[in-house]
Amino acid sequence: MSFGRFNYHQPSTTAEACALGLEYGRKSAYLAGGTELLVDLRSGRKSVCHVISLGGLDELKHITREEDVLRIGALVPLSEIAESAEVKSHFPALSDAIETMAGRQIRNLGTMGGNFCCGVPCSDTPPISCAADAEVVLTGTDGSRTVAAREFVLAPRVTVLNPGEILTEIRFPKQPTGAGASFQRFSLRRGSALAVASVAAWVRMEDRIIAEARIYLGSVGPVPLSATKAADLLAGKNPGDELFAEAGAQAAAEAQPISDLRGSEQYRRDVVQVLTARALTQACERAEGKC
Amino acid sequence: MGRRNEQAVMITITVNERRHMLAVPPEATLKQVIREDLGLTGTKSGCDVGDCGACSVLMNGKAVNSCLVLAATCDGAEIKTIEGVADGNDLHPLQKSFIKHGALQCGFCTPGMIISSLELIEKNPKPEPAEIKKALGGNLCRCGTYPRVMEAVGNWQKFEGVELDTDPGEHDERDQERDHSVVGKGVTRYDGPDKVTGREQYTADLKLPDMVHGKLLGSTIAHGLIKSIDTSAAEALPGVLAVITAKDVPEIKYGVSPARYDEHILAVDRVRYVGDEVAAVVAEDETTAEEAVKLIKVEYEELPAVFDPREAIKDGAPQIHPEEEKYANNINTRVEWHFGDVDQGFDEAEVIVEDTFIGNRPFQSPIEPHAAVARWEHHAGKLTIWSSSMAPHYLRHMLNRVFDIPQGDIRTISPCVGGGFGVKAEATPLDLCAVVFARLTGRPVMMKYSREEMVHHFRGRHKQYIDMKLGLKKDGSIAACQSHILLDGGAYTSYGIVTAYYAGSMVPTLYNIPNYKYDGFRMYTNLPASGAMRGHGVPQPRYAFETLMDMAAEKLGLDPFDVRLKNAMQPDTLTCNDLDISSCEFTATLEQAREFTEWDAKRKSLPEGKGIGVGCGGFVSGAGYPIYRSKFPHSNALIRLSEDGMAASLHIAAAEIGQGCNTILPQIAAEELGIPYHRIWLVESDSVLAPTDLGSYSSRVTLMAGNAVRMAAAEVKSQLLKMAGEMLGCDVHGLEARDGKIFVSQHPEVEIAWDEVARKVFSRGGPVTGTGHYSPPPGLGGNYKGAAVGTSPAYSFSTAVCEVTVDLETGYVDVDRFYDFSDSGTVINPVTFHGQVEGGIIMGLGETLMEDTLVRPDGSLVNPDLHGYLVPTIAESPHIISKAVESYEPRGPFGAKEIGEGCLPPILGAIGNAIYDACGVRVTELPITPEKILAGLKRQKEEKRG
Repeated sequence: MSFGRFNYHQPSTTAEACALGLEYGRKSAYLAGGTELLVDLRSGRKSVCHVISLGGLDELKHITREEDVLRIGALVPLSEIAESAEVKSHFPALSDAIETMAGRQIRNLGTMGGNFCCGVPCSDTPPISCAADAEVVLTGTDGSRTVAAREFVLAPRVTVLNPGEILTEIRFPKQPTGAGASFQRFSLRRGSALAVASVAAWVRMEDRIIAEARIYLGSVGPVPLSATKAADLLAGKNPGDELFAEAGAQAAAEAQPISDLRGSEQYRRDVVQVLTARALTQACERAEGKC
Repeated sequence: MGRRNEQAVMITITVNERRHMLAVPPEATLKQVIREDLGLTGTKSGCDVGDCGACSVLMNGKAVNSCLVLAATCDGAEIKTIEGVADGNDLHPLQKSFIKHGALQCGFCTPGMIISSLELIEKNPKPEPAEIKKALGGNLCRCGTYPRVMEAVGNWQKFEGVELDTDPGEHDERDQERDHSVVGKGVTRYDGPDKVTGREQYTADLKLPDMVHGKLLGSTIAHGLIKSIDTSAAEALPGVLAVITAKDVPEIKYGVSPARYDEHILAVDRVRYVGDEVAAVVAEDETTAEEAVKLIKVEYEELPAVFDPREAIKDGAPQIHPEEEKYANNINTRVEWHFGDVDQGFDEAEVIVEDTFIGNRPFQSPIEPHAAVARWEHHAGKLTIWSSSMAPHYLRHMLNRVFDIPQGDIRTISPCVGGGFGVKAEATPLDLCAVVFARLTGRPVMMKYSREEMVHHFRGRHKQYIDMKLGLKKDGSIAACQSHILLDGGAYTSYGIVTAYYAGSMVPTLYNIPNYKYDGFRMYTNLPASGAMRGHGVPQPRYAFETLMDMAAEKLGLDPFDVRLKNAMQPDTLTCNDLDISSCEFTATLEQAREFTEWDAKRKSLPEGKGIGVGCGGFVSGAGYPIYRSKFPHSNALIRLSEDGMAASLHIAAAEIGQGCNTILPQIAAEELGIPYHRIWLVESDSVLAPTDLGSYSSRVTLMAGNAVRMAAAEVKSQLLKMAGEMLGCDVHGLEARDGKIFVSQHPEVEIAWDEVARKVFSRGGPVTGTGHYSPPPGLGGNYKGAAVGTSPAYSFSTAVCEVTVDLETGYVDVDRFYDFSDSGTVINPVTFHGQVEGGIIMGLGETLMEDTLVRPDGSLVNPDLHGYLVPTIAESPHIISKAVESYEPRGPFGAKEIGEGCLPPILGAIGNAIYDACGVRVTELPITPEKILAGLKRQKEEKRG
């Protein structure tokens, strides 16, 4: 099926893009990598009169590290992020998360900004970003604001973005000493497939004890879910299989999955339990510098 | 591009090093611009939503799905399409590597595969297997070329500076040596170069002058009466040429089998499934046609619908074809077979195992969706139709019936077909409406299915509900087998009568079953029609049987191999259902598989979570009888020599759907003629240029078309030998033709060049031609109702062993290794042979573990696509070891039989049995998903506790 008919705009500055978005509001959509938007337009899930391409905004195509804050421009293709030396050394779990996504061609087109803004529950970069306590920078006609990644998505396909506002950057804070993270994902085939469930875990170790932990669940709730009770249960404890199994069970209880073609509610909880334990194991290993 | 839009965006793009300045509509994708504006049709269109990777191009050095890129965003971009990969006439080493490794079959995914591989090797010239898997995970191949693609990409550098020829690679010899020059050699595919360069044309790539586009409207409800159709708004849309409904098309039912013609070109009064074709539009361009379709208003009176054959058979269920009494209780086909005496057999059994098996609804999912182009010729009453058809003869037969045009006035042309597996074996509403429109408008008409429409048209595998019971004697010999099967046929018959018979007839071909009973009911439901899919009707009952064999063996304390060997079919046997088994090396396949896989050691020593399993199967080498009654030979061939004697053209109408008939038929011709393979030209799939062939279904082409080709070649050769005898002054009976020479067998030094003789024959008598034809032996099959289905000149036999790893926490199954030992007679071409086996294994793996077309409560489909409907990617492709266990089939050309379908039915049982070995869980409902395995593991734990 072809798209509906629309007008095309290609602003060359963020300010111009914001102004266009404000002008056309709900009748418009921003185009980043296009791997979500074009599918939505083709399926008829979305229909717009104006497509505003962000492709000309070269200022949103950077990966930099300043004072240990990793700043990723919203328009950097996913494959570039995954292969970036900065990302691999500073926060390898993000690389892992991206490598599990879709096929190479989609990773070459898709952007992290897009992965956030589409706001779908199965997006893979938000859970790991939330676990890392990342922030997103939102720029509108009135200037910029910074929002915690975990607060960005409000409901499926609904975000905090106002009309004319653009997600311009994702910022990963300086990782404290003893921090480690892991992203674990389960899908029904190894190659390119949407997640049945995913778990992002972040821990900070002190003297071989888990001082702090965050667990975020993907694809098992309307938004990336914080498994707060599971994370709380870890603080002050020695890492170990038994503890992680307990945390997994708790995370499974905190998940809010639906049943669909990828798995039943119960199966998704079962998978969350397993992935949580695996994610915690790897996160602790990374925190202790074992891998 | 023909689309109307006020706004156009000016872009400058460089494509294959040529700069283009273009004005593109905002909604045009890069794919459309490449294919339609620039005419570079090597970039294929498979799904339009980034799932298949067939449209991949390099954009600024990165592989991207060109369907997901708006052309407007490409200003300044450097694009490379498949056409730009070769350096002029010199193919890129990667392309040569693809050809030499046989890393392509239907070729539809090949351009995308090569593009993605190119991005990888330019960055990383020596990629590891894991890196190749990661780079190509977004390129789906339904023929299952993945193992060969891995090899081709891993070894591409070997082809740098190497001249491309047709010679076999070093390992591409047949295992068993026979005295042939061309047959048995892994010569490169005839269509290889065209497929790796994007030069090969598929139906949707055609662009005829003044061509217009048609589009179908499908029903939005599963069952109902059509109260009214308002086409006025659609007709009023500028650019629309015509809108048609049932009243505008011939009032005649069509279908596949004369006994059950039950489809209308467009629905008359009643719709029976979501997608049932109701109306169609033809317009100046595709977008307008799509828009117009949306403007057609259909008013329905909704009727109760039924989606489960177990419900459909009950009294009081909604009747789907109430107009015909013979379909009472929604029974489309009823089979009642009883051979021997099962009651007595079960009495003699030591163990009886039985279970209920529920199949799934796999869809062939070729990467190429169907397309058709019809052109009404200016001579009175003549028609040309290009169609992505596996069986153009049946298409022509149906066009003849529906439109009352003599067959001789219909020219069918099958351009290259991008995968079939059974889904393109019958006339579709696309073909039929394209003809209606071509007549109406006087212009060529293109009609294509979107992927979603293709899945709704379906004709995928019948979901079967199987109750099967098997009794074994103490020594492991089979005492009796009984099955009761409900097949979910969907709303129409398609090939379903045959399916219902195959589900029963093929069970006794593998093992000696003295007593056998089969009750089959093919049911109508309000779902898209099921049809013929690779291994037609056989895989699910075979899954049930192979599972029960293992269950029975376990009860008897016997090894799975021992029970199979005990009962294995032997050559020259008449089965209990009167099927005539000729050559058969089934026992050898079992013995070799057992030894090669180190079965006996592994069976006992694998750790928890790892397992090994065996499954067997086989198939017919062509159906003994055609679909409709006809005395025409099933396959025919024509050979004509070039005037200088240097080349022979082979004219055949079998459809190349990736299986490789365009390579092995020239091999057979070359062998019989006595010239090298590269001296054959192929003229194919055009009913004017080549004599009839029933088509590429039921695994019939190698044996049947092969025999016809050999006969045609023999006729040419006899003319040459006669002339050579005259020229050499010796007796014709002592002469032999081989490798381009004709010589005295006893004194090979007395020789003459083949072409010299051919020139002489031409000079004396004009065109040198030979014709050949083949019909199966008369009288195949028994004297009972339905005895024809399952008959064949020859049968294949296969033993498959697989090793799996089951993740005991999630239930996920990795298939680590597959071994296949197949008896398919003499192997004509080891590369295409093993390619077929690998493809069958990968397709079988998909339908065993992940594939299922899902239905919502309202009868609409959940996953008519390639992201919800998962097929195997290169990442799930196991390590495959395929071995030919050759028999010599006296009815086949040079002893050959089929391979393309028989390799699939063993896979389901092999995987299921391996999973059981790994974790003790038996899943009797396909597909065997991680969720079902985990549920089984949980039950196991509870049972242990309780």
